[in-house]
Amino acid sequence: MDNLKTARESDNTLLLAVLILLAIGLIMVFSASFVVAGENHGDPYHFLKRQAMWVALGLLAMYLFSRIQYKKLKKLSLLIILLNFILLGLIFTGFGSGLGTEAKRWLVFGPVIVQPSEFSKLAFIIFTAAYMSSRSLNIKNFWTGSFIPLVLVCGAFYMINLQPDLGTAIVVLASCALVIIFAGMPFSQMAGLSLLCLPPLAYFTIKEEYRMQRIFTYIDPWTEPTGSGYQIIQSLYALGPGHLFGAGLGRSTQKLFYLPEPHNDFIFAVIGEELGFVGAVVILLLYLVLVWRGFLVAQKAPDLFGSLLAGGITFIIAAQVLINVAVVTGTIPVTGINLPFISAGGSSVFFTLISIGILLNISRYTQEKKTLKEFK
Amino acid sequence: MADFAVSRSTVRTRLIAVFILTVLFTLLLIGRLAWIQIVRADELYEQAWEQWNHIIPVQTARGSIYDRHGRLLAGNTSAHTVAAIPLQIEDPLAISETLAPVLEMEPSAVYDLITMDRSAVYIKRKVSTEVAEKVRELGLSGIIFFNEERRYYPGGNLASQMLGFVGMDQGWAGLEIYYEDYLGSGFGTMVYPADRKGRQLPHDFHRYTLPQESYNLYLSVDETIQHILEKELARVMEQSAPKQAMAIAVDPNTGAVLAAASKPDFNPEEYDIYDPESWSLAPVTSSFEPGSTMKMVTVAAMIEEGLFEPAGRHYCKGYTSVNGIKINCWTVDRGGHGDISFYQSVGASCNPAFVEMSSLLGKEKFFQYLKAFGFGSITGIDYPGEASGLIFDPEAVGALELATSSFGQGISVTPIQQVMAVTAMINGGYLLQPYLVDEILNEDGEAVYKREPQVVRQVISKETSLELIDLMESVILNGTGYAAAVEGYRVAGKTGTAEKIGTDGAYLTDQFVYSLVGFAPLDNPRIVLYVAVDGVTRGPRLGVHTSAPLFRNIMEDTLNYLQVSPTELQPGQDNPEAD
Repeated sequence: MDNLKTARESDNTLLLAVLILLAIGLIMVFSASFVVAGENHGDPYHFLKRQAMWVALGLLAMYLFSRIQYKKLKKLSLLIILLNFILLGLIFTGFGSGLGTEAKRWLVFGPVIVQPSEFSKLAFIIFTAAYMSSRSLNIKNFWTGSFIPLVLVCGAFYMINLQPDLGTAIVVLASCALVIIFAGMPFSQMAGLSLLCLPPLAYFTIKEEYRMQRIFTYIDPWTEPTGSGYQIIQSLYALGPGHLFGAGLGRSTQKLFYLPEPHNDFIFAVIGEELGFVGAVVILLLYLVLVWRGFLVAQKAPDLFGSLLAGGITFIIAAQVLINVAVVTGTIPVTGINLPFISAGGSSVFFTLISIGILLNISRYTQEKKTLKEFK
Repeated sequence: MADFAVSRSTVRTRLIAVFILTVLFTLLLIGRLAWIQIVRADELYEQAWEQWNHIIPVQTARGSIYDRHGRLLAGNTSAHTVAAIPLQIEDPLAISETLAPVLEMEPSAVYDLITMDRSAVYIKRKVSTEVAEKVRELGLSGIIFFNEERRYYPGGNLASQMLGFVGMDQGWAGLEIYYEDYLGSGFGTMVYPADRKGRQLPHDFHRYTLPQESYNLYLSVDETIQHILEKELARVMEQSAPKQAMAIAVDPNTGAVLAAASKPDFNPEEYDIYDPESWSLAPVTSSFEPGSTMKMVTVAAMIEEGLFEPAGRHYCKGYTSVNGIKINCWTVDRGGHGDISFYQSVGASCNPAFVEMSSLLGKEKFFQYLKAFGFGSITGIDYPGEASGLIFDPEAVGALELATSSFGQGISVTPIQQVMAVTAMINGGYLLQPYLVDEILNEDGEAVYKREPQVVRQVISKETSLELIDLMESVILNGTGYAAAVEGYRVAGKTGTAEKIGTDGAYLTDQFVYSLVGFAPLDNPRIVLYVAVDGVTRGPRLGVHTSAPLFRNIMEDTLNYLQVSPTELQPGQDNPEAD
């Protein structure tokens, strides 16, 4: 137990990968957004300014969390999950806003605009990791094992899906599920839950016509080039012409109102167009470095809570990257999940950086395998 | 209890499994990216290029048409085309309702246009400056203007049939269509990349395909003579209300058409409100029985064959019979001309004399000359839709057909054929090809085409030609064409009165085409003029009152305009045989 007190320097490789991704993110947000921002907001720097502010705040928060002993989070986990539900609930009060869109996803407190569902991802990772690392838990028994976190996450899923924001709701569900899977949920339970989830999943998909459309246009986007197939086609029209080395930074044509959300969900398409296949692969490899370092932190964490926390944080980022790139390349239907560190979006980058701060803090206490065995 | 708690080794194994899965999925996505960005790159680039690039036609102004002295007959004036960029239109319903009344269109038609899935659509082309200004004042976003050219005819109806008219982008009639390859606006394209809202990208390169240049036509036509001719045609239309009146003037030395028109005509700027029958140049496109003017062909053949000798005579008893069919002379009521020389029979327009002449010639010789003078085939003038007329097939011709053909009945010819035949008779025997376009110049004023007079063939000898000139003068001076005489000038010619065939194939008893073909001045012919008045419905109905004054007035004004010095009539001139 004394190990926890001998804190070392945090993982610099991990930090460097994150900082490079953030820098690329700021450049690409500006490149992708300045025309749209100039036209829609009268200020080409509109999105850059906001993103830079949130990155700065996020870096500050990251630093703070890297100094706070992660073990304290375990004690705060109940409070955190409670705060999560309060924030999600406030969406349905006067504080909730769609920021001019149909989907009510934001809370507006004067000048501060927060997207609580971004916080939910982190909240569920912390809560589930804390819950699953309890010594009195029986992981083999569903009811005394993973039942409570799953019930809570289903509640959150339902609330986020009401906004509606199915994409984020799925990521929140995945945050919880990932930790439970890492914790060793038996395969029989995983299979049973999957079977149980299929009917409601099918129901949600069929209920909303646009989701069906997305599925169909995923199968062949050119059947409806002006409708929902449009996004996929436009994304391919960015990636294809990007070719090996890209059109050059700032020289995307597709960001000129052809691509939907060029600075957000489809920013990877702009990257592919401006920086080419090489640039796109370099970014994927940077994420892989981050995942590799995060994976090592999880493996070497001094305790179970730290291991589950690090694993959850690392692989939920990985999952979002994979889903986003899969959507942009037309590999899976459009889901509305952004690219961590790079896509414009204050709350997303802020809470992701907090989670990186936590990861960095855990990395300060990692131990070599040998010591770990002894510890066990 | 502790046995069932979460174990680190399980977590470690599962972390490894998920990490491996993550690496695998990343590699799969890199493969997917390679497929899109390398394998399918060119194909996708081509499709994206289509989406980014807008193609706008660029056009040169249509070539102009000038008369022989460089006076503008057809040119261009600026017009405005109202177009829309559908992507920039936010409220198509409101815009179509605002725009439609100004453009005099149906709102639904406008709506359909501005909602098309195109980068740009024309709403209404070539509107006037006033209309364009009204649309501009509405200040609608997504509505743009192109400057275009609209065809403009400074003379209005003048030479309308000759010039023809143009549709939106190309010639549809007359010289405008015949010389479309030269006059036509060259189409090029400008290709430029644009954002999704159709706005040109400022710093990207544009690609031009330069349009082919258009050329200007310089006609053989003289605007002043054309004006004289049309003024007189209008006067005949006014006085006699005929179904149609036409005239054509040709330079007998070159075959150049100096003027040609028929009435009723039309205004080429609003051709669509006129009867299409008025669009074509009747002297070239219509054929009908020529009547007595054809007798000159018979006479020419007689002289050339040496059968006309001054001693040739006919006894006219007021009619003659061919194969039992009686053919009357117009003097039948007073017992005929009696004894008459072939020479006199021309001025007297005695049909029985011509029947005798044609039988002396025989059908082979007669039709040989008829064809040699250009009848039965087109002259090849540079005008669309020329008629060839119809002459009997010599193989199938009997004595009766030969007889009627000799005084111009039972065959059909075009005025231009007659003019060119007369031209050959008086210019030393050369049948020329008539033409309207003298020169074609490019934008730099260099000639890309220069017309040279073209001799089709020599039909008769110079001597025969001289004799024919004499004969035709006698017609004007002493014969049926007296009313066409122009004071102060030596004019020669031949009159004709053709009966018309009705729709049932029988001759109409009250419908005549009064025609006259002649030339002046006698010693050095400058102009061959043909006039015809068809279906007079008002006032006196003889050639003397219709075609002859028409001929005389045009000829007189033209000779004055050309500053041809009047010829002193020599004593004894009225007796051609003494010449």
